[in-house]
Amino acid sequence: MSETPAGHTVFYACKYTPVELLAGFGARCELAEADVSSFDQADSLAHPNLCGYGKGLIERLLAPDVHEVVLVTCCDVVKRAYDVLREQGGLDFCFLLDLPHKRGKAERRLFRTRLARLAEEYAAYSGLSFDVGRALASFQPPLPRTDDRVTLLGAHATRALLSDVGQGLALPVENATCTGPRQLASPPAALARMAPTGTCDSCEDPTDTLGTSRMGGTLDTFLDWYAGALLDQMPCMRMDDVDRRQDLIGARGQQGVIYHTMKFCDYYGFEYAEASANEGVPMVKIETDGTSQSSGQLRTRLAAFGETLRGRRQSQEGDGEKPEAAPDHATTGHATVGRRGPTATYVLGVDSGSTSTDAVIVDGRGGVVSQVILPTGAKATTAAAKAIQEVLDQAGLADSDLSLRVSTGYGRDAIPGMDTSITEITCHARGAHALVPSARTVIDIGGQDSKVIHLSPKGEVLSFVMNDKCAAGTGRFLEMMASTLELPLDEFCRVGLGWKHDVRISSMCTVFAQSEVVSLVADDTPTADIVHGLSESVARKTASLAKRVNAEPPYLMTGGVAQNEGVVAALTSVLGSPVATNPDSQLCGAIGAALLGLESL
Amino acid sequence: MAGFDVVKWFGGVADGHLEGSPAFTRNWLMLGYQLQRLKVRYVPDKGISPSFAEAYCLFMDSVVGAQADLAHAAVVSIFTPCEIFHAMGVRPVTAEAIGAIAGGAQAESGLIAHAEGAGIPQTYCSYHKILMGLAESGVLQRPGFLACTSPACDANNLTFRALGQRWGMPHTYIDVPTEVSRDSVAYVADQLREMQTAAEDAFHTRVVPEELQACVLRSDQTDQALLRSLPLRRDRYLANTMTTDMMLMLDTHLCLGTERAEALARHSLADLQAAPTYDGLRLVWAHVMPFYLDALGDHLNVTQEAQVVACDMTFDHLPPEGGGLFSPDEPYEYMAERLVRNCFNGPAERRVTTLRRLADATDADGVVVFCHWGCKQTAGAAQLIRSGLEDAGYPVLVLDGDGVDRENTSVGQTSTRFAAFLELLQSRRAGGAA
Repeated sequence: MSETPAGHTVFYACKYTPVELLAGFGARCELAEADVSSFDQADSLAHPNLCGYGKGLIERLLAPDVHEVVLVTCCDVVKRAYDVLREQGGLDFCFLLDLPHKRGKAERRLFRTRLARLAEEYAAYSGLSFDVGRALASFQPPLPRTDDRVTLLGAHATRALLSDVGQGLALPVENATCTGPRQLASPPAALARMAPTGTCDSCEDPTDTLGTSRMGGTLDTFLDWYAGALLDQMPCMRMDDVDRRQDLIGARGQQGVIYHTMKFCDYYGFEYAEASANEGVPMVKIETDGTSQSSGQLRTRLAAFGETLRGRRQSQEGDGEKPEAAPDHATTGHATVGRRGPTATYVLGVDSGSTSTDAVIVDGRGGVVSQVILPTGAKATTAAAKAIQEVLDQAGLADSDLSLRVSTGYGRDAIPGMDTSITEITCHARGAHALVPSARTVIDIGGQDSKVIHLSPKGEVLSFVMNDKCAAGTGRFLEMMASTLELPLDEFCRVGLGWKHDVRISSMCTVFAQSEVVSLVADDTPTADIVHGLSESVARKTASLAKRVNAEPPYLMTGGVAQNEGVVAALTSVLGSPVATNPDSQLCGAIGAALLGLESL
Repeated sequence: MAGFDVVKWFGGVADGHLEGSPAFTRNWLMLGYQLQRLKVRYVPDKGISPSFAEAYCLFMDSVVGAQADLAHAAVVSIFTPCEIFHAMGVRPVTAEAIGAIAGGAQAESGLIAHAEGAGIPQTYCSYHKILMGLAESGVLQRPGFLACTSPACDANNLTFRALGQRWGMPHTYIDVPTEVSRDSVAYVADQLREMQTAAEDAFHTRVVPEELQACVLRSDQTDQALLRSLPLRRDRYLANTMTTDMMLMLDTHLCLGTERAEALARHSLADLQAAPTYDGLRLVWAHVMPFYLDALGDHLNVTQEAQVVACDMTFDHLPPEGGGLFSPDEPYEYMAERLVRNCFNGPAERRVTTLRRLADATDADGVVVFCHWGCKQTAGAAQLIRSGLEDAGYPVLVLDGDGVDRENTSVGQTSTRFAAFLELLQSRRAGGAA
């Protein structure tokens, strides 16, 4: 077998790329990792409204270390990425392989022809010969996984995302995204027998660069089989027949599914909508823009999902045999915490949010002893320390009197001196159930994000959904609009109730909405009507989230925006059912954290 | 539709009943569509040319007719060759047509929200979101047949499969290779034959070969009449609006192969031959038109200030220089070649070439590339189109917006950018910035 020549690295993006064919020429194929820090070039050469992976690809493939690229017409964005690369003209070899959408006989024939053309052009460009042995040696054996694991499905995941998922869930991660490891059938033995075992000068069988010789046209024979093998992989969502993808969910050993969608990649949003109806497998959707930004929100979702998985496993264990020996740490359905043993029981809950930091102390019966709400300001840890001191002072307690300290919210892992942290999803659910036991749906709109949590009658989390990275529909959105209208926030919360005329404002984008508000102001539209339009916009966005988790009344609204009467009224109207608030709703997360801590003791 | 407030109220009523009573919304929308159908026939929009009035009528007749009897209609994507359906007496209707008519009735907002609530991504094409919203809510009922082509975009791939799953029916997918070759055409032609067989089974009828041949001959005649109109668009007053241009575009796809479409193309040509001269700005438009945007309409609709002289969605398959591979005498291959050569198929360079040819033929002052929300095909090509056409001497405006969703367009910004572009073109004409 020939040795791999140095210096030829072909960058690719799609799992249908013929990496084994290129390996037959001695080229090393490398998946283009598109986790870049900015999309400046892609935005200017193409358009901002492309998926993050496509834009990342453009950025990555324009880097000076990239000389050879093979892309596949897998989606509109990759086709355009190829157009941009061609136009820039800096690559030594750039090929676009047209991939059929179907897998029939006619498609295999066409695809085979296109693979042969790629081989011909690569041979002409590189001067390398095709060696079937080298191609065969590059095949990975198709071994299905059966170990306990979480499967990452959907759109391309960066290495950073894979790492975040693994760390967040403490389980091995199977990458089954669109660029995940390829699993082709093993080559037939007949092909292996064609592979030359060494160089034999006495044979004097001249071989051209395409590996076609008097001995039998190895490339042709290889392609006859290979075109079908490539097309027969587990289909991605752009293929016409995707029935086999059902096998990806519920496979042996799969503990749960993280479903990754990406803004402006529509393929996987469709599959998620269908897959999420499968209640047999725990599943959570995460949406990214293809970069490793927005990791704070991502961490929350992953941690909340990890809590769900652990709760589910414990529940399954509870239904079966219980372990004889008690563990040396107490475990709740949601979080694992260390034991402490003071005489009187007081538990501290701290919710470190983007706008406010809330702290609560509950006693051994779950009653609230003291509570504090402070603005978070520029430094979350400073605000948390201040809130903790104030809530202790109010209760007349010292830190040593506390049995447990539980944090939640965005800054939950940064607060020093906490015993454990629990995500705000689980804490809000528990807190809401304590405040309004009949509530079946919690709508929480905070400064940074909005979420809807569907509860069981016992207050357990049935499902939850959070807004994406975009600020539309959050407290921050409303703050920006209040600022645009030059209204103090408390006045902004009330003024819309006096609206007269329906004004529609974009529910999609904060930037567009701000521009619309400016236009409305320029048209002398009454402020009350504009504010009402904004409240309606937030309500519609939230109702759309609620629908995704099969939300049902009674509704309870928590988070800072619960104090905005206009939004509460608009939500009531859009959901067609009263939306309750509670005077302590802003403390919901902190109360939930304290109660969950108490229950773990 | 006449009267902004009336239409807004009408759309609001449709929205309000969407969740609880899809049957009411269906009947309500149909009532509005039928009224609008009468309106465009008997009280056409002021100032538009008779042929554009006819284009609007043809659109309403075909789309309302199809939606009134969906069991005998085929829901198809925009570039699906419809001659096969016309030859068997079946009405085709496209996502864009269904979206445009719902948008015209200002009913798009609730439908889009419903689709998003059902899990359709926010970043999906708004036309397709409306179609999915109609289907998911139960307003749109199961049609007799579903078919789509891989061009113009990935949305076809998703929408038609999802619709098939929802309605428990197969969908025909026509995979169009990007390379222009006899092999590609033969591959597509075979798929068209398969689509015909599937449609014949679905509608329990057979296509008479002579009838299909006649349809394809009419398609050829229609295309040729449209092509002959191009040089006239250079200096004649078109008396058009963004709405009528969208209607003409949809007619020349949905109804291609019918006698009415051919008559419309001839009528349009005759209107232009008799039209007064025009000295305003001439714009070539890439992609769909946001017909509802008065901020643009004030400059473009039946005015002497500026007019859209050609759109690459209407002229998506200009005949190749040197002639095509197949004649209308080979109907399947002829239709297949049209698809393969479509400027929305293959590399962005084809869009650039088509727009360049349109701009040359009409002596355009500038080109507007409308990046419709969710269309990665056009958005991804926008800067390549800009550089390609600017190199050829045509100023280009890349305009972001939404062809049908009013909530998804920044009116103030769009208005400013468009007006500034017109000022730039005026200034070039005056020799200020040559």
